[in-house]
Amino acid sequence: MIKKTFLILLPIFLFGQSNFFGYYEGEFDQLKFANQTYNYGYNKLRLDFEVHPDDAITIGANINIQKYNDNISWNLLDFLPSDVWKPIFQPIIFPEEMWITEFPIALSDTFYLDNVYLKAGFEKFDLTVGKQQISLGTGYAWNPIDIFNSKQLLDPTYEQTGVNAVRAELPIQGRTSLDVVLSPGKDWKESAKMLQLKTGLGRFDVHGTVGQYTWNRMVFDPQLFLPSIQKDERTLFGGAIVGEIAGAGIWIEGAWNQLENQDNFAEVVVGTDYTFENGLYIIMEYLRNENGISSKENLDINNYLQYFMGETHSLMQDYLFGYLSYPINDFIQFGLLGFGNLNDNSAALNPQISWNLFQDVDLTMMYSHFIGNDNTEFGVQDWGWRIRLRGYF
Amino acid sequence: MKKVIMVSILGLSMTIAQNVIPTGAELVEKMSEVMSQENSTAIMTQTITTSSGKQRTFEFEMFTSGEGEKTLMRYLKPSAARGQAFLMLNNADDIWTYFPRTKRVRKLSSSSKNQKVQGSDFSFEDMGSGDSWKTEYDSENLGEEKYDGTDCWKLESIGILEENPSYPKMVVFMRKADFYPIKIDYFDENDFIEKTLLMSDIKEIEGVPTAMGMIMKNHLEGTETTMQTLSTTYSWEPPENFFTERELKK
Repeated sequence: MIKKTFLILLPIFLFGQSNFFGYYEGEFDQLKFANQTYNYGYNKLRLDFEVHPDDAITIGANINIQKYNDNISWNLLDFLPSDVWKPIFQPIIFPEEMWITEFPIALSDTFYLDNVYLKAGFEKFDLTVGKQQISLGTGYAWNPIDIFNSKQLLDPTYEQTGVNAVRAELPIQGRTSLDVVLSPGKDWKESAKMLQLKTGLGRFDVHGTVGQYTWNRMVFDPQLFLPSIQKDERTLFGGAIVGEIAGAGIWIEGAWNQLENQDNFAEVVVGTDYTFENGLYIIMEYLRNENGISSKENLDINNYLQYFMGETHSLMQDYLFGYLSYPINDFIQFGLLGFGNLNDNSAALNPQISWNLFQDVDLTMMYSHFIGNDNTEFGVQDWGWRIRLRGYF
Repeated sequence: MKKVIMVSILGLSMTIAQNVIPTGAELVEKMSEVMSQENSTAIMTQTITTSSGKQRTFEFEMFTSGEGEKTLMRYLKPSAARGQAFLMLNNADDIWTYFPRTKRVRKLSSSSKNQKVQGSDFSFEDMGSGDSWKTEYDSENLGEEKYDGTDCWKLESIGILEENPSYPKMVVFMRKADFYPIKIDYFDENDFIEKTLLMSDIKEIEGVPTAMGMIMKNHLEGTETTMQTLSTTYSWEPPENFFTERELKK
């Protein structure tokens, strides 16, 4: 299907006045946890195309090809505290020979069309139709109003996958605009609908968001020993305010979520950042997510599955995120990224160096040190490191 | 006879006018008139040279309006920066940046306005502040001085603390002929010259003197950034709602 789509699109990009750009990314990671060391790495090519058949029209697409260095298979159970999975996989009523010790997840090579869209610029609004990246919210590490994406704490600024949608962005006046998104599902009820009004109040930007969609969450059926999908109608009333006080940036982003079958919940992020004269930059964020679990004793395998699948923004309720960066010179930057789970007292500290080796070539080296007991979210891992080389073209 | 007297009086008053020494505020006003056109658009290259001689080159388009009060910058090259854009309003007091890879717009706090743009020796405020010279500095004319063989007025501008200026002090050499600045020294809190901006290849574009070349030398870090104007015009009229998030994301 992807190959067919690519072949259909190819003449447009070859015979239109097209721009080709993208990047190569090579990454090598090593992680130590559960008394084992895991190596994994990949080579990725992202190829973007863009054509403008008319001044007001943009047709864009990008293909991602990701090839892992080896056939990588992970044991999901290594990532979970034993008291979460043992009652299901090793019930004491079963004899030990019947206990399950592995739940393999394979990382396989991928070749996929991430985004493919047409954007038309009308006099009064812009309309984008197709698979497109939609990133909502002002938070850096978390976005309570973003119903389409969930960020990785180790890399919150990594691009996110496309969403099939029709999006209309209508500037009203000055800093006031309206953003309407419809992401079609099986029927109207299962389609995601979102409306966002943005405006400026002095030095502050203010957003109000209303969204409604069917929230699909993965649940593990211990009888069938298979995961299945649980559906719930979710209505989101959100908002954000971003501005500054005494030179320091501040933002609050929050959402109240009404669910048809489960308890309603609130999610809020509060953040601040500041750049010092010498170039030192510091950013801090706090997340309160009532959808998370308040105590590690109450965590079950479904909470982990939903978090790993990006269906929830956090596993537990209270988190702190911090990042500082300092330019050693014009091409080398030192960074320290840290995040902590305030409910189970586990954390990760990640010093990193980013080096612009050549024009369009960046090298990032990062070490991760995990803190906390073995039965905590981050403490289940010991340490890790990552080297990432990215060359843009 | 009357004509001779009239011509003599006129000649005398012109001589007096020529010899009147403008005040610092008048020089700033004249300089602003020359430098700050109502609207402009340009395509420029920016080459950063580090103390070890390594270079990075960027190309960007820049749109300004309201005598520099509004600025929109968008990087065209290299590939790593392609599409990244900055919108600066209120003389760079409000800055938004757009990251094309994540399609996100972030508002930057004003503490970042004196930070380097893309690692260059130009800060956001250097790029986006229009007439902040008039409001954030007290200026004094230090008299005439030659710079690089050109007759100049030497202007000293001291930052007004309450206005939160980017530099505590600046010294400008501007051509007496047209009040166009050809050298600006930026001082730090210890009264050392932190950076020097040199204008070169000054051409008349649509009747406006325009420096086609600029070099910002950072004396503290031993780096320099060269800017070259590839094309520019002052006759561009910004469409309605041009300096907004919609244009930033294009």
